[in-house]
Amino acid sequence: MKLFEYQAKELFRQYGLPLPNSVLVASKSELESSVSRLRFPVVLKSQVLAGGRGKAGGVIVAKDRQEAHDAFVKIMGLAIGGERPSSVLVEEAFPHEKELYLSVALDRGERAFVVIAAAAGGVEVESLAGKVVRKIPLVGISERLAKEVASSAGLSGEQASQVVSIIVDLERLAREKECELAEVNPLAVGKDGTVVPLDGKVIVDDNALFRHPEFAKLHPEDEFEGEASRQGFAFVRLDGDIGVVGNGAGLVLSTLDLVGDAGGKPACFLDLGGGAQQDRIEAALRLVNRLPGVERILVNIFGGITRTTDVAQGIRTVLSEGAVKPVFARISGVEESEARRILEGTRVRTFQDAPSAVEAVVGQN
Amino acid sequence: MILPEAGEPVIVQNITGKFGRLHTKLMLEYGTNVAAGATPGKGGESVEGVPVFSTVAEAVASSGSRTSVLFVPAEFALAAGEEALDAGIKLLVVITEHIPVRDTLRLLDLSARKGASVIGPNCPGLIVPSRKMKLGIMPATSYRPGNVALFSRSGTLMYEIANQLSLNGFGQTAAIGLGGDPVTCTTMGECLDFAERMPDTEAVVVVGEIGGDAEERLARHISESSNAKSIVAYIAGRHAPKEKKMGHAGAIIYGNYGTAESKISALRSAGVRVAMTPAEVPILLRQATG
Repeated sequence: MKLFEYQAKELFRQYGLPLPNSVLVASKSELESSVSRLRFPVVLKSQVLAGGRGKAGGVIVAKDRQEAHDAFVKIMGLAIGGERPSSVLVEEAFPHEKELYLSVALDRGERAFVVIAAAAGGVEVESLAGKVVRKIPLVGISERLAKEVASSAGLSGEQASQVVSIIVDLERLAREKECELAEVNPLAVGKDGTVVPLDGKVIVDDNALFRHPEFAKLHPEDEFEGEASRQGFAFVRLDGDIGVVGNGAGLVLSTLDLVGDAGGKPACFLDLGGGAQQDRIEAALRLVNRLPGVERILVNIFGGITRTTDVAQGIRTVLSEGAVKPVFARISGVEESEARRILEGTRVRTFQDAPSAVEAVVGQN
Repeated sequence: MILPEAGEPVIVQNITGKFGRLHTKLMLEYGTNVAAGATPGKGGESVEGVPVFSTVAEAVASSGSRTSVLFVPAEFALAAGEEALDAGIKLLVVITEHIPVRDTLRLLDLSARKGASVIGPNCPGLIVPSRKMKLGIMPATSYRPGNVALFSRSGTLMYEIANQLSLNGFGQTAAIGLGGDPVTCTTMGECLDFAERMPDTEAVVVVGEIGGDAEERLARHISESSNAKSIVAYIAGRHAPKEKKMGHAGAIIYGNYGTAESKISALRSAGVRVAMTPAEVPILLRQATG
């Protein structure tokens, strides 16, 4: 789960990282009443999860109240990557001469958490030149390792010691809060030599949320995503017109590829999970059927532990409930011919292999 | 990694749970010798005629097993895995999904210190058709004995592709589900080395997906080692959006990291034939071995 910048910074503050003064505002009146607590100039930042916020115009510097007001209105009306902000973070500008990069991240290939530091920030980690990467032991980073990282990144003196303390705090945050990523980018070095995080990105391990009730309900969720997650489906909304449902994440992913290659556009990714029974396929079909934008539904089932006859019965039940979008079902595996027989005489078109089902569903354009 | 011999005893952890019970039955039906089960507090019960013990140590002492299949819920999976490794289990198959990644790293660390292998987590397990050895939840009907080693990050795609291989006359020496999490305890490189050492394996099929760099690392491993087997790969997720978790915790693209294009081009540069659809896998395999 990716946190909003202001949520990431609340965590930074809890863990003792220095930060510029700021207020989070969701309305003009909130802005009016709280901006006086800040020293101008201020920076207004759109609180969206989408990347590329700066380039999209979601970050504006304001030197007085009027400019802050105008910037607020502009940012609240600006969708970034289809996402509208519900709040704006207003932060005192921090004049600085130099930007650093710092993160604690899961390195999947190395199968370890690593600390990454570079003496040049503000760009994506992939394009960082001269970055220092060190594996962190399971028990956490030592001050000695943090010092080595800072000096290898070319820092010295007072600046290095501030960075060392930020590394230690950031690593403790990432470990205790079970983050896949805790990133400070840029980490700014002010004219007076103080080192302050200007932007923060934190991604919490979804699988560890059961140990972290403090993160529950941090995000307003989409109606459909909320229902899918209550049903235990893996679900992603996409922007096409073919609802894609299947049993198993890899199988559904591969179905999206078949649909895309054939020139079709999926409206969603829905994985029923292993061993799905009749009630599950019914719930999934009902959900996809009322998803805006869906015109046709493609069901791809490879039966093993999942019984294909259960799937067929489920489809039949939902069809009997009335207005259902056209369903194209590839049903293969154990008891497949019996499953197809269950669907005979219904409006469902059944297929033995995925490519023919995809060809048919895409060809309906 | 050492696979159990035909008939060798295996144990099931949380054998008394819904999935533990179902899959114990299916493993027994396939011919696998599930000799004992373990669930805390359930010692003395039995499941499908298999005796249940409260601790793994007792299950191991009673059965002589060195292999365990773990169905313990995510919250308790690390403790259960540690218990198994401490009790002398040398091959631990972790079926459980949703284990926090830091727990997986701890399990991996302990297994390295114990000289044990862990398959998973979040995987369907592994199957050796010639030995009637099914350690997991895959549907047995997809698999036939043969000469292709199959390993996959996805469960259902492993079943689907095994099925296509079987229908086209390519049986399997072993099929291993590596798991859909960001960190897998067995790597693709380790699987390839393992396949190299299996004398009856003639070709290898790798099923990857978006997220991480497991396939890129495999490609590097192939280029750097003297690999003699033909390899065919399939990578799912060419049309997946970025920054969205596509079902598996590990199936997510960040920026240009973890894209299908990157994996496909890395594997092709290493001389691997890459199929664009599951159905193309047996076709490329025939070309490669023909």
